[in-house]
Amino acid sequence: MSLLAENGPQNGPDNAAGTDAGGAASADGLRLAGLTKRYPNGFTAVQGLDLEVPRGSFIALLGPSGCGKTTTLRMVAGLERPTAGTITLAGSDITHAKPHQRPVNTVFQNYALFPHLDIFENVAFGLRRRKVKDVEAQVRDMLDLVELDTQARKRPAQLSGGQQQRVALARALINQPEVLLLDEPLGALDLKLRRSMQLEIKRIQMEVGLTFMHVTHDQEEAMTMADTVAVMNAGVIEQMGAPSELYENPRSTFVANFLGQSNLIEGTVLSRAADVVTVDMHGVQVSVPTARVHTDGDRGWVGIRPEKVLIGGEGEALDAPGNTIPGGVVTDVSFVGVSTLYQVRMPWGQELAVFSQNTGRTRMFRTGERVELSWRPEYAFLLDIHQSAAAGVEQGDDD
Amino acid sequence: MADLSAAPQPEPPARRSTLSRRGLLKGGGALAVGGLSVAALRLPFFEVAGAQQNPATCKATDLSASAKQMIISNWTGYIDPRRNPKGTFAEFQEKTGIQVTYNDDVNDNAEFYAKVKNQLGTCEPIDRDLIVMTDWMAQRMIDLGWIQPLSKAAVPNLHANLIDSLRDKPWDPDLEYHAPWQSGLTGIAYNAEYVKEVGSFADLITRSDLKGKISLLTEMRDTMGFFLLDVGADPDDFTEAQWYDALDLLKKTVADGQLLKFAGNNYLQQLTNGNVVACEAWSGDVIQAQYDNPKIKFVIPEEGPSLWSDNMLVPNLATHESNAEKWIDYYYEPEVAARLAAWVNYICPVQGAQEAMEKIDPSLVDNQLIFPDPASLKDTWDFMPLDDRQTQQYEGDWTDVTVG
Amino acid sequence: MAAGVRRRGKVGYLLMVPATLWLLVFFVVPFYSLVATSLFDPSGSDFRGYDMTYHWQNYADVLQAYWRPFLRSIWYAALATLICLVLGYVLAYAIAFKAGRWKNLLLVLVIAPFFTSFLVRTLSWQLILSDHGWVVRSLQFVHLLGPEDRLLATPAAIVAGLAYNFLPFMVLPLFASIDKIDPRLVEASSDLYANPFVGFFKVTWPLSLPGVVSGTLLTFIPAAGDYINAEFLGSTNQRVIGNVIQGQFVDANNAPVAASLSVLLMLIIVAMVLVYVRRAGTEELL
Repeated sequence: MSLLAENGPQNGPDNAAGTDAGGAASADGLRLAGLTKRYPNGFTAVQGLDLEVPRGSFIALLGPSGCGKTTTLRMVAGLERPTAGTITLAGSDITHAKPHQRPVNTVFQNYALFPHLDIFENVAFGLRRRKVKDVEAQVRDMLDLVELDTQARKRPAQLSGGQQQRVALARALINQPEVLLLDEPLGALDLKLRRSMQLEIKRIQMEVGLTFMHVTHDQEEAMTMADTVAVMNAGVIEQMGAPSELYENPRSTFVANFLGQSNLIEGTVLSRAADVVTVDMHGVQVSVPTARVHTDGDRGWVGIRPEKVLIGGEGEALDAPGNTIPGGVVTDVSFVGVSTLYQVRMPWGQELAVFSQNTGRTRMFRTGERVELSWRPEYAFLLDIHQSAAAGVEQGDDD
Repeated sequence: MADLSAAPQPEPPARRSTLSRRGLLKGGGALAVGGLSVAALRLPFFEVAGAQQNPATCKATDLSASAKQMIISNWTGYIDPRRNPKGTFAEFQEKTGIQVTYNDDVNDNAEFYAKVKNQLGTCEPIDRDLIVMTDWMAQRMIDLGWIQPLSKAAVPNLHANLIDSLRDKPWDPDLEYHAPWQSGLTGIAYNAEYVKEVGSFADLITRSDLKGKISLLTEMRDTMGFFLLDVGADPDDFTEAQWYDALDLLKKTVADGQLLKFAGNNYLQQLTNGNVVACEAWSGDVIQAQYDNPKIKFVIPEEGPSLWSDNMLVPNLATHESNAEKWIDYYYEPEVAARLAAWVNYICPVQGAQEAMEKIDPSLVDNQLIFPDPASLKDTWDFMPLDDRQTQQYEGDWTDVTVG
Repeated sequence: MAAGVRRRGKVGYLLMVPATLWLLVFFVVPFYSLVATSLFDPSGSDFRGYDMTYHWQNYADVLQAYWRPFLRSIWYAALATLICLVLGYVLAYAIAFKAGRWKNLLLVLVIAPFFTSFLVRTLSWQLILSDHGWVVRSLQFVHLLGPEDRLLATPAAIVAGLAYNFLPFMVLPLFASIDKIDPRLVEASSDLYANPFVGFFKVTWPLSLPGVVSGTLLTFIPAAGDYINAEFLGSTNQRVIGNVIQGQFVDANNAPVAASLSVLLMLIIVAMVLVYVRRAGTEELL
């Protein structure tokens, strides 16, 4: 299960050589090529998007509201007409096909269940339109799968939010689409229910083996459910890959901030060796592995996740091969049980976040205490200085 | 007929008095369906008493001496401009000091009757001192005892100047209750732009080039008079059999699709715009319309015209009867009558007005539709007075055809 | 406890007083009066008064005498309602889904004819359809009408007039219903293999049914009782039951006949509405 991003083919099973759209190479999955959506008012929602989703994979489009993820999904569903580019599904070009002619089904945000039909008829809707035989048995099976077999004759309004969500899923799944689109399907549920639905959708996807494309602004949801996450920002895919890869090695400040939290410290590149780049960071030299360097410039943002930062008292030995950065002062301590979050003001005035696991091996620090920070070089990453250090901050949860 | 003429028919008084005590639900409400208001038909008692009143008892104190005012209801377009300071209306107010409230709220005899019958039928005031009704309705109201007699001494001009052809109506031969306001002829009007002259009523209801494009008047007596004539009967004196002959002719005419409609007071508009090319019409309307559209012509039908009047009546419980009598007497001055006639173009009921017209508008002096010479009025016919049961029966027959 | 219940009952009854009074004054009394009048001896008159003879024969008589205008009323009203439904649905649909920021303006325009009187509007149609008006002449020019054909004084003119006059009664409830439909449901239907035509009949139409039912009722009921359109746009051969009632009451002064006609019209309409609402499966509207 793998995915090809805008940088071209790398390791897709169906994509040995060519990149030509609609070629036999991508015959099995969903392929978006140069997909663009510009509205009459001049707003460009999606800008030249290339994306290839192999059959049977679970991809999440993750991004803040307005990033173009929903527009992309609606273009795949046929509910929006692309301004440019092509959409290829299972080998055929569906760019201009009408929604009802596409082997694509959608689980809508707020479900869009038909209020005048009972659960059974909601689920049977697509089968009946396609004049499929044996509707009764198929619907029964599907209702079993989503554990709603006892609710078949109720109207949607009589069901709870979670049940409605499952009906919406069943209504789309029963048609065995080439791609199942999920448009923020869990947004209306409370946290606990959302967690269990995440797992359930994942379970169902594995059971039926269909291609799922999931749109969400919730990074945790995306990472929990999807094999591959594509982080979108301002109409383009910023970065895409397996959740851990995105988290560990973000390639832009936006991804670094939107996916989790990062400390970004300005630095000057001193030297570039084959496997390591050395950076001067306010007088402290740190090294970053070349594979984690995403800029060619003389300067850059040195990035480090807060939980990768080690904290110790002045002069205390830290278990890290990198340089120690002295002169920090604790300005805030938040105890959250499994860990403690420190804010540490560095000599150059920047506050860095540090998550310290409460393993019992290190003591707690108090506000005002002088501390030293350090981290293992292989955890650091170097980003383009021209990107805003604040990109993607606090954009994750508003919608 | 004689029993109908002057005095109201006596009715068992018991019923009448019961009625007035039952005045529980006055002016209740209007019916939802069909726009019919019947709430004033007394509830919760399961019957409605007769509407006859006695004008001698259902009478108000005359306040004319202290209150210099009066209220009139007349047909629309039936007086010279009231704002003209030299017009008859302004002059009357100036001369007498009486403040006149003039309503042109009469469009249709039956409609006006329906509007006032609940009050007048139960001896309640309608807040009018003078109303103007066509002969047959005047007769009905007088018969119902709704009309106050006029003081002969107060209206000397009426008795002196009324033209002969309008005197001696069987229902009020001594002008005890009514004073004609204007008179007119019922005849035929046609639009010369679209059709050749229509000379007779028989032509009007049979000529194929008029099919679907004529209108007849909703006034039963006007229209049925002509049908009676066309079946060889005399509207002044016909039998029931003759009535049904005439009615059959009417039914046939309707069934043949000869008519566009039965029209009330607004029939001329359709004639002007050509949806109706010929119609039964009243003389004064046509003369007025000719000023705007000279193609509209009036014809006295070969069957002879019907001469009618709209009459001033003082309803029961009018509180300014003397003022109303002053108004009547004023309009029976020949000079005043001539000025009025010069404007409304109907037949002037006042003797001497023709001479007075010389000074006002010499072109109208010889107009036969304003001052017809007595010889030409010889052929006019009148519709015979009907008693209550005949009215009921014939009006019902008529309505069945006109609305069914 | 018994006292408490009684007190609550009293308050309940007190709260019902305004509605009961309203119903009593504006429905029960007039209707009672109407029914009573319809049972009077039809040989009565203003002179002699009317006796209550429980003359049920009135109903049979008027039905026999006037079944044609009854049928005409219902037929014309039904046709006009159908036309209103088709036109009104398109209009309401367009306003609800396609009008965008023009929505409110368009709604005002739908109601705008109400700012002039019903009578004036109908009379204007008389002018528009007039024999020598431009509509008839244009149609004659292109030979859609023969030289002697006319629009006025035809059933078509009456139906057109009714449809015109009652269109807003159709559009407004339809709009209210259609506007409430979540456009995503239509998207969902197309996502689930329904072409636009099927999607309309499987989703939009059933969801707009409450508007359809109330719109058709609000159009049909007044249209069936209307006589102004027949009066001004029809001829003597297209008179409807409203004309008869009006003529019987005002011209012929025959209150019992007029009243029994009115009651009958009411009963017929109520019966039709009940059957219709049952059929449409929207009893909850009643």
